[in-house]
Amino acid sequence: MDFLAAVFRDLGIGQSQALMFALLLPFFPLLLITNRRIRERGRPQLRSIPGYHAVQEYLGRAAESGRRVHVSMGTGGIGTSVTAESLAGLTVLEHIAAHALATGLEPVVTVSDPSLLPVAQDVVQKACVSQGYPEGHDPACVRFISSDKVAYAAGVGDILGHGQVAANVMVGSFGDEFLLMSEVGARNGLVQVVGTTSPQILPFMYASADQTLIGEEIFAAGAYLLGKTSHLASLVTQDWLRTAIIFTIVVGILVRSLA
Amino acid sequence: MRRLAQAISVGLRRSVPMALAIAIGALMLVDFFFDEPHINALGSFFVESVVIVVAFAMLLGLVNVLVVHFRRIWKREEGWYYSIALVSIALIVVIAGIPGADSRVVTWIFDNVQFPLQAATFSLLAFFVATAAYRGLRLRSWESVAFVVTAVVVLVGQVPVGRYVSDLLPQIKDWILNVPSTAGMRGIIIGVALGTIATGVRVLTGFDRPYSGEEDSTR
Repeated sequence: MDFLAAVFRDLGIGQSQALMFALLLPFFPLLLITNRRIRERGRPQLRSIPGYHAVQEYLGRAAESGRRVHVSMGTGGIGTSVTAESLAGLTVLEHIAAHALATGLEPVVTVSDPSLLPVAQDVVQKACVSQGYPEGHDPACVRFISSDKVAYAAGVGDILGHGQVAANVMVGSFGDEFLLMSEVGARNGLVQVVGTTSPQILPFMYASADQTLIGEEIFAAGAYLLGKTSHLASLVTQDWLRTAIIFTIVVGILVRSLA
Repeated sequence: MRRLAQAISVGLRRSVPMALAIAIGALMLVDFFFDEPHINALGSFFVESVVIVVAFAMLLGLVNVLVVHFRRIWKREEGWYYSIALVSIALIVVIAGIPGADSRVVTWIFDNVQFPLQAATFSLLAFFVATAAYRGLRLRSWESVAFVVTAVVVLVGQVPVGRYVSDLLPQIKDWILNVPSTAGMRGIIIGVALGTIATGVRVLTGFDRPYSGEEDSTR
């Protein structure tokens, strides 16, 4: 142990960096192994996540009502500390855009961070191409509201409050301003699926929305909604590593208690 | 010949952004883990470059706002007159900001319009919390029963009157906050950390290409 600590110290790696390194290093080979296994043996069985079932159901309801679906990827952006959450929101958008466009109704997509604007426009345009009508794409269906969180919430509230949309899906990084949007949706009778990673915002979500994706569940969107092999593989890898962490915690408690 | 050119073009369109993303991602990782001056300088350069990219993205955002609202005015959609106000104010702020972001006019607009409006909108949050609490306290399922019971115990245990109801209530409240609540939060944080690593690794290995505009090869 002392030898390892000395090696890390010589390389200029601190304690927290070493821990991060220990988590990151096994991820690469495990992801490649599970990816290959899934390709050879087929999809693993996934536990049910009601939020993702609800997304499918609400898309159908919105199509029946002839109204659109609002999608938000949070107030974070790409290149920030919450990039992963924003990418999870983009994965949900990818699914919704493909399904909504199949019924001829483009989703209303709002972004708060301008770095998400071109990426979200690209996702919707790609969905248009895959549905066979690239000329039908309206670039203005992806709207930049404001980089200010309160102004963004006010803009989204306006969209949710004027009967343009039938369902509201918000997955990404949110702060306290979340309630300003979701409560408008709830008061207007919209069906809502929301998700974030922040434990402080999750109670707000649970209270005001129909379905909540809790914490890491938002990162499973690619596996549940799109069925991508790489996302399934990373889900399995996450499970393995989580088991390893739990085992380490239990062993650590026992060793400390017995020592 | 034309097919070959097309194949090369498609290949380049796929592989060049992927190679760049993997190379820069790997470099940023090395920069994070190792203390090597040259790599650290290169890492800082890329982090600073993000600021420039974001500035351009902001410009795209402004164009998007103007396009959306000009169209709304043109088509006389519901509330189009608000769009006139928005476009006018956006243009006024842009013109006022030409001498510099800290010009007197811009500072006045921010101090007397933007900040009071922000504060007013945010102050509505108190009422929204109350309605959300009412909505959350309805018994919809076994989960919401647990939610309501926990919320009531913590609320009553938190206020002085809780002691008059029962001496146990403050203790139960402390136990709920220190044991199940902290354990749940730590569980969420561990899961989120793994999910974040998974997303990063998928982008680094080229499985996910949110930047390329190409279909995912791993579906």
